[in-house]
Amino acid sequence: MSEQAKNDFDPVTLEILWSRLICIADESAAALLRTAFSTLVRESNDFATVLMDADCNCLAENTGGIPSFVGMLPSAVRDFIVRIPIDQWHPGDCIITNDPWIGSGHLPDITMAAPIFYKDKLVAFSGSIAHLPDIGGAGWGSDCRELVEEGLRIMPVKFLRENVEDPFVGETIRSNVRVPDQVIGDIYAQVAAQRVCAKGVQQFLEDTGRDELTSLSAALRSRAEQAMRAAIEAVPDGSWHASVDADGFDDEETHIECELTIKGSDLHLDFAGTSPQIARGINSVLKYTYSYATYPIKCALDPDSPRNEGSFLPVTISAPEGCILNPTSPAPTAARHLTGHFLPGVIYRCLAQVVPEKVSADSGSSPTLRTVYGGVDLQGNRFNQVLFACGGLGANHRMDGYACTAFPSNTGVGSIEALESASPLRVWKKELTTDSGGAGEFRGGLGQDIEIEVLSRSPVNLSTLADRGKYPPMGILGGKNGSLSKVELSDGSHAHLKSREILKPGEVLKLHFPGGGGFGKPEKRDPAAIQRDIDAGYISIAAAKAEYGYESSKASTS
Amino acid sequence: MQKRIRVGVDVGGTFTDFVLVDEYRDMIFTGKQLTTPTDPGKAICEGVARIAREAAVEMSSLDGIVHGTTLVTNAVIERLGAKVGLITTSGFRDVLEVGHEMRYDLYDLFLEKPEPLVPRNRRLTVNERVGSRGEILVELDEAGLKAASDELVAQGVEAIAVCFINAYINAEHEKRASDIILSNHPDLPVTISTVVAPEIREYERTCTAVANAYVLPLMRRYINDLQDKLTALGLTGPLNVMLSGGGIAALRVAQEAPIQMIESGPAAGAISGAYYGKLTNTESLIAFDMGGTTAKMCLIENFKPEHANTFEAGRVRRFKKGSGIPLKVPVIDLIEIGAGGGSISRLDAMGLLKVGPDSAGSEPGPVCYGLGGEDPTVTDADLLLGYLSPDYFLGGEMSLNVDVVRDAIAIKLAEPSGLDVTAIAAGIHAIVNNNMAAATRSHIAEKGRDPRRYTLVATGGAGPVHAYGVAKQLKLSRFICPLGAGVSSALGFLIAAPATDGVSSYVSRIDQIDLDKVLKIYRDMSGTAIQSLVEAGGDVNTITIKRRVEMRYLGQGFEIAVDLPDDLDGVNLPKLLKDGFLERYTELFGRSISDVAIETVTWRITASGPTPNIQLNFEGQQIDRGAAEKGERQVYFPETGYAPCKIYNRYGLAAGTRFAGPAVIEERESTVVAGPDTTISVDNHLNLIIDIQYPQDKA
Repeated sequence: MSEQAKNDFDPVTLEILWSRLICIADESAAALLRTAFSTLVRESNDFATVLMDADCNCLAENTGGIPSFVGMLPSAVRDFIVRIPIDQWHPGDCIITNDPWIGSGHLPDITMAAPIFYKDKLVAFSGSIAHLPDIGGAGWGSDCRELVEEGLRIMPVKFLRENVEDPFVGETIRSNVRVPDQVIGDIYAQVAAQRVCAKGVQQFLEDTGRDELTSLSAALRSRAEQAMRAAIEAVPDGSWHASVDADGFDDEETHIECELTIKGSDLHLDFAGTSPQIARGINSVLKYTYSYATYPIKCALDPDSPRNEGSFLPVTISAPEGCILNPTSPAPTAARHLTGHFLPGVIYRCLAQVVPEKVSADSGSSPTLRTVYGGVDLQGNRFNQVLFACGGLGANHRMDGYACTAFPSNTGVGSIEALESASPLRVWKKELTTDSGGAGEFRGGLGQDIEIEVLSRSPVNLSTLADRGKYPPMGILGGKNGSLSKVELSDGSHAHLKSREILKPGEVLKLHFPGGGGFGKPEKRDPAAIQRDIDAGYISIAAAKAEYGYESSKASTS
Repeated sequence: MQKRIRVGVDVGGTFTDFVLVDEYRDMIFTGKQLTTPTDPGKAICEGVARIAREAAVEMSSLDGIVHGTTLVTNAVIERLGAKVGLITTSGFRDVLEVGHEMRYDLYDLFLEKPEPLVPRNRRLTVNERVGSRGEILVELDEAGLKAASDELVAQGVEAIAVCFINAYINAEHEKRASDIILSNHPDLPVTISTVVAPEIREYERTCTAVANAYVLPLMRRYINDLQDKLTALGLTGPLNVMLSGGGIAALRVAQEAPIQMIESGPAAGAISGAYYGKLTNTESLIAFDMGGTTAKMCLIENFKPEHANTFEAGRVRRFKKGSGIPLKVPVIDLIEIGAGGGSISRLDAMGLLKVGPDSAGSEPGPVCYGLGGEDPTVTDADLLLGYLSPDYFLGGEMSLNVDVVRDAIAIKLAEPSGLDVTAIAAGIHAIVNNNMAAATRSHIAEKGRDPRRYTLVATGGAGPVHAYGVAKQLKLSRFICPLGAGVSSALGFLIAAPATDGVSSYVSRIDQIDLDKVLKIYRDMSGTAIQSLVEAGGDVNTITIKRRVEMRYLGQGFEIAVDLPDDLDGVNLPKLLKDGFLERYTELFGRSISDVAIETVTWRITASGPTPNIQLNFEGQQIDRGAAEKGERQVYFPETGYAPCKIYNRYGLAAGTRFAGPAVIEERESTVVAGPDTTISVDNHLNLIIDIQYPQDKA
């Protein structure tokens, strides 16, 4: 069957047709990006647009998408069809949900799908996921004990019926969120993306004289699957184990066990032994776990094939029901990334045992330290500001980690000047932290220090979403660990990394974003590289001596 | 307007191109010299002297030279610039290194980021601080600043850049810093960020200041030397430069803000595209330039190329967005993709046929050059399909080897994929066209427009070979291959108007905006711009100033530019801004929201003088016309497969000629390909106008 599908399309036709479909997904993404209000959509690319065939198989995803959403839409749409029979889908319908188990793992994300008709036949689905500016409840944080505290939960329902908004659905959303115009505005940004996608697909079918897309998607899936299978087969068979500890919440630390098994062209990840789900918002639903388990595998083994669902078919995962990587409803999940982002590190420690040249050490941003500020500014306007920033990248077998670079997500940092112009916050410092990168033959990328002052006349609410307060990013193959996350208040006390605080006017916060882990033993590091690090101030003379046993020739002069 | 005789000079990587336009005689002359990389002024002087001689014009009667160069771009790409020191606000030493904190490739664990132009040991900080509303929070530590600059000089820096936080709203500290450094080190070039990019966003502004300082010493030496050489030759008219935004400016700009010249060549190419639009009366066109490594596309509406305000220089991975250094400079808005004659074709891990973005360059070049290239390229496919002649490449200076191409394609691509050689060659041609069409389509879609109303104007060595295929993929009904395309950048220098841009940031909700402040911003920017145009030889009375402002919904990340009327005195500014914003927003996105606050971000002006009115008449050039028809060969088109096709000599086609495709029309620097569904006509300016008929033509 798959051989058959492959033979229907030669490598030239397939390349031309596919690149055109990817363009449609990209144009759909551009429409969403440009009209969305959510800073998470804009600054962190926290959204995806996907084109699926009539059987809900993925045909194309937007190129810039982040790993969070790999494989999520096809299964969501299949779920939609179970609840809303396919004969009830009409042109102009838009179905939405934010249920973490059906959608993408937490309530702030709206998952949307719409049918695409051509010559009166349903030929495709367009889908999108985007992080809304607000979803009600307690506001975005990591400390809620129950899912209902985290906001409004919408089970799959038609938001638009033949292009007309369902008044009950629309009004329910408007009346349950903090910034209704922006939230509804962003849902319509998703609607706009669906329309661009539908128009593109209809044009595509007309231009190419085709009337269906399933044979095309089968051919693509089969080729992508074969590429990944070849990559897995190149790694020797075997089974490798690693584990990771994380802060979790207070006494309930997170422990993740991972066993990676390769047999022929199949790769299986087993998370048995991982700690149970907890009554705090850091549970990672299985779909999210799957995304962050498969993403690092693709990066390490098959980075060059374009994104396609088929790449992930040879990779399977299992996590016991009720564990923090496969929690059951209604577990709170708002800060799911504080668990899911640990997966690349633990998976790479498994792979390092067999293909060390394909992996990197832990990064300071997996997960990153995020702080959200909300209140009233000096002009009396409401503001809500997320401070985006990253720790250092983990080192790999051929180079030091870059300082302050996102991984595994791809959250950019906004401009400090833009932040200061939009909110009553002032940044006094944003600078690399000397000695924060883990020592090694190749050094972990440096983290950074940020000092931020609250200027408003009334108190500001701070919500912190972070980890790595107790367990630093780990080095690999003898490389040393990076530094720990820290949020320090004016009085010298340390803020809880997964909680909320009220900041009084004039408060100055000191944040530290960890450096990445090192790769290989420090004693193997090139002395010239150590001296360069000293000259640039990446490491101190004292650390050069302590970590590398290196005596700087210029030590006496400074 | 006063008639003039001027020369346009475009210094490229391989050739320096020359165009002389004599407005008294309505004549145009063209020339080429090999670029002299170690001393570019040498080729310029030789070429200028030669073209003046050919046109029988005395050096002293030349009214000026307009000049553009790739020197600035190359210095950034090849890291040949000066040793620069950077002074920043205390607490912000690493803005330049940290950047956006993003990965430009999500799946590459080993990606490389561009090395900062200034390493950390030459980045020093000084105590000072301006607040977000322009208020001084911490006074400038003048002694600390002097100490920092002394330390940098002791480290041997050749230029210093200064960028302070929030200086975009109050440049006082930066200006004082510059004064202090210059009073201590009078010969040291200093760039402050607010002179080159007075815009919000510290990373881009720092990059721009640093890049400017990086090329400054080099450009000053070069410009001064060139001026001396040309004066020695007897030139008395001014030497002007082309800016990336498409305007002509006084030499002083190149000496102070050379970073503004970074895209002067491509800008001039777009300007000449606009000129061809005027010549053929085409309002909406896509200027399409395809060379050996890259293809560039630029939209031209109403004879004006579109503009952008940022440019990414020195990409580590050439065509990957985000892998370079972001600069805040006004540029012509064009897209560049890795599609050229030298683009290499291979099968990827999924077994799909890919073309580019990597290129075989000129050495070893395509397989058919016989210089050792082994990977089949676009040029190789074009040769096999019969589009290129094995005997008339570069006007016959080079012969191409068809047999080695057939073997290379058979072994590397045909056998592993199970397709035959012809299918692969046609596939390479179609895929590279598809890549260019897709990029163009997305670019047009982002602007909310329909590609079908555009006409393609093809230039560059490979442009006319691929224009037919690209036009068909975009469903365009016409493409144009102008004469003189080989020197279109140099020609653009002479067609461009003197122009300069001004920019200023003022972030405010529009309901809380201060009209007086806006008026002052525009007064200041206009004053500076007019002064600079007058210096470039402009007449105050002929200068027009266009104002626009970029706004966004409070909380959104994309700004939208709205044009403002000439006179703002006494207007209801909040209403004007709101109406303008909502109208433009709806135009772009099909809807708008009325109850979310709107804020202004950046205020801009473009001041320009009158556009020269040039007649394109190549009669002055000696051309051996010859016969129109050169015979016949087998040429491949998807509809017909290989079939006999007439080959024409472009120089033999007189104005008014009209004939039906298929046709291959050869000229020295390129070849025009037109399929069986076309009609070709030659207009009065010897442009080839090619119309495509579609099977079920809908009106």
